[in-house]
Amino acid sequence: MAARQLGADEPTDTEFIALQNKAKVAFKEGGGVDIFIKAYCADCHGHKKAKSGLNFQRSIKKPGNVIARNHLKQAVTFVESLDMPPDDEDKQPTDEERRQFAEWVDQIKYLSPKDPGPFELRRLTKIEFGNTLHDLFGVDRAIVDDLPDEVVGAGYLNSMSPLQSEQYLGIANAVLDEIWASEGKPVTRFQKEWLGNALAAKSNQRNAANQVALSIAGRAYRRPPAESEIEVLLRVYDVARENKQSHPSALRLMFKAVLISPQFLFITPAAPVTSDETIVPLDNYQLASRLSYFLWSTIPDDELLALAGKGNLNHPETLKKQVKRMLLDKRSRALFDGFGAQWLGIDQLKTKAFDEKKYPLMTDAMRFAMAEEARLFFDSIVRENQSVVNFVTNNYSFLNETLATVYGLEKTLTGPEMRRVKLTDPNRGGILGMPGILATTSFPNRTSPVNRGVWVLEQVLGEHIPPAPANVPTLEKQDKKKVANLTLRERTELHQTSASCANCHRILDPIGFGLENFNAIGQWRELDDSGGAIDASGVLPGGEKFETPRELKAIIATRKEELAKNVTEKLLAYALCRQLIGYDEVVVENLMNTIAKDNYRMQTLISEVVTSYPFTRRRVK
Amino acid sequence: MRSHTIIDRRTCLKGVGASLALPLLENMGWAEAAAGKTYKPPVRLGFMYMPHGVIMDQFWPTDPKTYLSDPPPALKSLKPVLDQCLMMKGISGVPISPFNGAPHALELSTWLTAQLPDAPTRNRINISISADQIAANYMGHLTSLPSLELATMPQTHKENQEGLHEGYYNYCSYRSSTQPVPAITNPRSVLKRLFGNATKPGETAKADPLDQKMLDIVIDGAKDLRRNLPQTDQHKLDEYLDSVRSVERRIAAIEYHQKEAALEKAGMSSRKRFASDSPPIEIKIPEGGLRSEYMKVMCDLNVLAFQTDTTRVSTYIGSLPNGVSYPELGFNDQHHSQTHHKNDPEKVRKVAAITEFNVEQFAHMVKRMKSIKEGDGTLLDNCLMMWGSGLEDGDRHSRENLPFIIAGGGGGSINTGQFLDNAKGNQGDLLTTILGCLEIPLDRKIGIATKTIPGVIRSA
Repeated sequence: MAARQLGADEPTDTEFIALQNKAKVAFKEGGGVDIFIKAYCADCHGHKKAKSGLNFQRSIKKPGNVIARNHLKQAVTFVESLDMPPDDEDKQPTDEERRQFAEWVDQIKYLSPKDPGPFELRRLTKIEFGNTLHDLFGVDRAIVDDLPDEVVGAGYLNSMSPLQSEQYLGIANAVLDEIWASEGKPVTRFQKEWLGNALAAKSNQRNAANQVALSIAGRAYRRPPAESEIEVLLRVYDVARENKQSHPSALRLMFKAVLISPQFLFITPAAPVTSDETIVPLDNYQLASRLSYFLWSTIPDDELLALAGKGNLNHPETLKKQVKRMLLDKRSRALFDGFGAQWLGIDQLKTKAFDEKKYPLMTDAMRFAMAEEARLFFDSIVRENQSVVNFVTNNYSFLNETLATVYGLEKTLTGPEMRRVKLTDPNRGGILGMPGILATTSFPNRTSPVNRGVWVLEQVLGEHIPPAPANVPTLEKQDKKKVANLTLRERTELHQTSASCANCHRILDPIGFGLENFNAIGQWRELDDSGGAIDASGVLPGGEKFETPRELKAIIATRKEELAKNVTEKLLAYALCRQLIGYDEVVVENLMNTIAKDNYRMQTLISEVVTSYPFTRRRVK
Repeated sequence: MRSHTIIDRRTCLKGVGASLALPLLENMGWAEAAAGKTYKPPVRLGFMYMPHGVIMDQFWPTDPKTYLSDPPPALKSLKPVLDQCLMMKGISGVPISPFNGAPHALELSTWLTAQLPDAPTRNRINISISADQIAANYMGHLTSLPSLELATMPQTHKENQEGLHEGYYNYCSYRSSTQPVPAITNPRSVLKRLFGNATKPGETAKADPLDQKMLDIVIDGAKDLRRNLPQTDQHKLDEYLDSVRSVERRIAAIEYHQKEAALEKAGMSSRKRFASDSPPIEIKIPEGGLRSEYMKVMCDLNVLAFQTDTTRVSTYIGSLPNGVSYPELGFNDQHHSQTHHKNDPEKVRKVAAITEFNVEQFAHMVKRMKSIKEGDGTLLDNCLMMWGSGLEDGDRHSRENLPFIIAGGGGGSINTGQFLDNAKGNQGDLLTTILGCLEIPLDRKIGIATKTIPGVIRSA
C-alpha cells in the first residue's frame, strides 16, 4: 500500500480554490451574507449605527480580518438562538434564512490562503527549559525559578529580553557549579558520562575538546551540529586557553557557551532550506523537537532522534505510533501541566482567594487535591484513549480523604493518597461536577452562575461570548429590600428583564443555574445562601429542558462535535504556540472528519494534531 | 526641550562589546564634575501602576489652594510629602476604539506607550516603545542596569479580547514595538539582578571576564545560523542577539563598578560621594503572605536600586488588571469585581480602600526616598516618581481624567506642591513632559502626544 502523504486530509489545491470562490460569492456585495445583514442587522449594526461596537457592514468588507470574523461568528450565535434580531423587530428572518446565514458565514474560513501560519524560531518556555536541564544534566528543575513565568500555548510570547538573557547566563553558571567538579576534585557522574577521558587528556587536548564539542552539541542542540557550530565552540575553547586557562576550565567555558547558545535555547532547523518552495515540511529533527516539547515539554528521547536521523519521522504512520508511545510514557503528564490545567482553569486554583470564614475547607491541601483530581482524570482519559465526551460523562474520579469531604464521602475514604473512585451520584463525575472547576468559576464568597455558564460555553463547547459591556447594572445594585428574599437565581433572572443583558444571559444563565446545586467550592446543597430551595431546572436556547445537573450533563454530552472541535482547536493552538488564524480553521475541519470516525478518541485527536498540515510544515519565504 | 542627537545604545555596542562601553561609563557617569563646578547627583525616573481607576470624589482634590493641608482621602498617606508632589487633573487616555471590548488590556499596555496596538496585526505584539524604555535607552548605559521592571503578580493572565494578543494584558513596558519587557516578581530575584553574586546589597557583583569573550564568540557564531533562516526567524534571532549583547554590556558595567569599588576603598574614588550620603538601606524580605509587605519590599528594592545608582529607570506594576484580592483590608473580593460598583456604597468603600492602600505603598516608597540623604538634599529631590492608573472610573471604564501623582523634585525640574486642576492634554503629552524634565531628547513623539503639559516643569 502506498504511504499516505502528509496532509492528505487537506483539500487539493483545485478543490480549495473552488471552495474559496464559492465563499467569495457569499461575502461580496449582493451575496448571501450581504443581503442578510442589510435586511436584518444593518439598522443597528451598520454604517449609520454600530450598537455594541458591532458594524457588520464593515466586517463583510474585510472578512479575512480576525476581528471581523469574530464579530460575524458572534452574530451567528445570536441569530441561530433566535436572540437576534430582537423580538420587538417586525422584520424577522425565517428559520431557513437563519440556517442559511450560519452556513454562509461558516465559509469565511475558505477566504484565507492555504498556509501553515507564521512559524517562528521558538524559544523554549520556562517549564520546557527546566525540564530540559533536568533531563540532560540531572539538575533540579527549580534551577530556572528566577525566569519570569509566561503564558504557554496560544498567546505565548516568543520573545527574549535582557532580563532573560542574564538569567540564562546565571542559570548556565548554576548548572555548571552543580555538575562540574573543580580541578583536583573527583569527577562528577555528569563529567564521566559526557566527557569520558577528555577531561584528563594530557596530549592532543584540542582534539579532545573537538570530540567533546561534537558530543555535547549533538545532545544539547537536539540535532547533529553543523561544522561551523563546532568551530564556534572550539573558538571558545581556544580563547580560554589563550587566556591562560587550563584544559578543563577551557572545556567548562565551552560548555557554558553551549548552554547560552540559540541552538540550545530555541528549537532551530537542522539544515538550511535548499528548496524553492515557499512552504516546506519541517526537517525531521525540528519535528522531533516540536513533537517532544508538545507532548512531554522536554527534549526528544533517543528513539525520536534515531527516527529523525534515519529521515523517517515526518511520516503520518510513524508519527502516530510515536504519539501512542509518548502518551503512555510518564513524561506525558506535561500535557496536563501545560495544556490541561490551563484549559480546565485549574491553574488558577492555587492563588485564587476564597472567603476563609465561609469556606474553611478550602485549605492548601484541598486546593492541591482538587488540582490532582483534575490531573489524574485528564490523564486517565488520555492514557485509556477514551472519547473526549467522557470528560463530561465519566462516572469515576480521583479522591483522597481531604477531597472526599467535598463529595460528602469522608466516611468511606481515608488516607492522603489519591485513588480512583466510582461515583454513584449521577450528578457527579465529569468536569461539570468537578470541585476544582466549580471553585475556579466562582467568586470568593458565592457561586457565579454567569461565570459557570461562560466557562461551559467557551471552555467546553468552544463558543465565543462577548465581554459584558461596562454599563450593565450588576446584581448588588438591585434594590436591597426588594431582592433580600430572592434566591441568587431569582435575582439573576431579574436582570434578564433588561434588554441589554438579556441577549447574552438567556444563553449563559440556564447552564450556570443547572449547576447551582454545587456551592462555590463544589459541595452539594439543596438550599442557596438565601435559604431558598435551589431550582436547577432550565431550558437551553435549543429548547432542551433539564431539571438536575445530571440532565444538563447529558445534554452537553450530546454535543459531541462541538466538544471535540473545541478540544482540537485548543490543543492545536497549544501545539503551535499561537492563536489559530486563517487557514487553520480549514485544517481543524479536516481533522474533525477523521476524529469523528474514531468516536472522538483522545489519542486519535492528539495524533491528528501532530500529523496536521501546520504542525508538520513551515513557511520559509 | 534640548535638541541633541539621541544616543543609541546599540550604536555604542555593536560588535565592540565592553571595550567601548567602559570609557563611556567614565565619561558620562555622575562623577565627572569638572574642576570648580558643583557636582550634581543624577535624576532617576520611576513609574508605579494600579489598574481599574479610582473613586473620583475621594481622589481628586477639590481646591488647589487647600489641597496641601487638607488632601482628599485617597492621598492622606502622602500628606507629609505632598509639598514635594504634583497632581494634575485633565490628562485623557488614548481612545480605545476599535478595541472597545478590551479596556483592561489597553489600560495597561497604553499606559507608558500612549498608543494603541496595531489593529491589523493585533494577534501579535505590535505597539511601540514605552516611555520608561526610551529613558533606559538614553541613560541606561550610565548604570550597571539600564532599567528595572517590577511586578507583584506573574504576567501569565491568558485572556484574549478583541483578538488582541494575551501579552497586552500583562505588559506595560516595551523595549521596541514587538518586545515587551518582563518584570521580576520575586524580591530575591530582584536582589540577585541588582547586585549579582555580591554578598551584601550595595556591594558590587563579581563578573567573569571570560564570559564576555565567550558571549562575543557565541553572538558571532549565531550569524551563521541567522543566514540560514527565513526572514521572520531572523527577526527572532535578532531579538536573541540584542538581548545577549545587553548582557555583555552589563558584564562590562559590573567590571567597571568593581574597579570603582576598589578605588573607593583606596580613597581614590572618581565617583564622588558626599560624606552626608546615607548608607544603603536594608532590605528585609518578608516571609508571610501579606500583600502590604510584598508591595513594600518591592518599593524598598526600587529605592535601593536608585540609591546605589544601580539603575535610574524603574517601572513597577503594583498589580495586573486581571485582579488581585486584598484580604488585609477585610474582604476577599477581587479588585476588578468591585470596581463595577454602580455606586453601591459597599463596593465604593472597597474600591476606595484598595486605592488608598496602593497610594500608601507609593507613599512609603517616596517617604523612604526622602529619608535618604544625597548630596545637599535627599534622594527624593533627585527622583521623578509617577504613580497612576490606566482608567479614571473603573465602573464606566472612563479615561477622561486619568489619575496621576508625580512625586519628587526631578532634580529641581518639577513644579511641586501644586494641583493643576485644568491640565489639558493626553497621556502621551504627560509622558513627553516627564521625559522633557529629564532632558531626554525624543526622536519621535510618544504615541498620541502633540505637546507638553504647561505648569509641570518649574520655570527657571
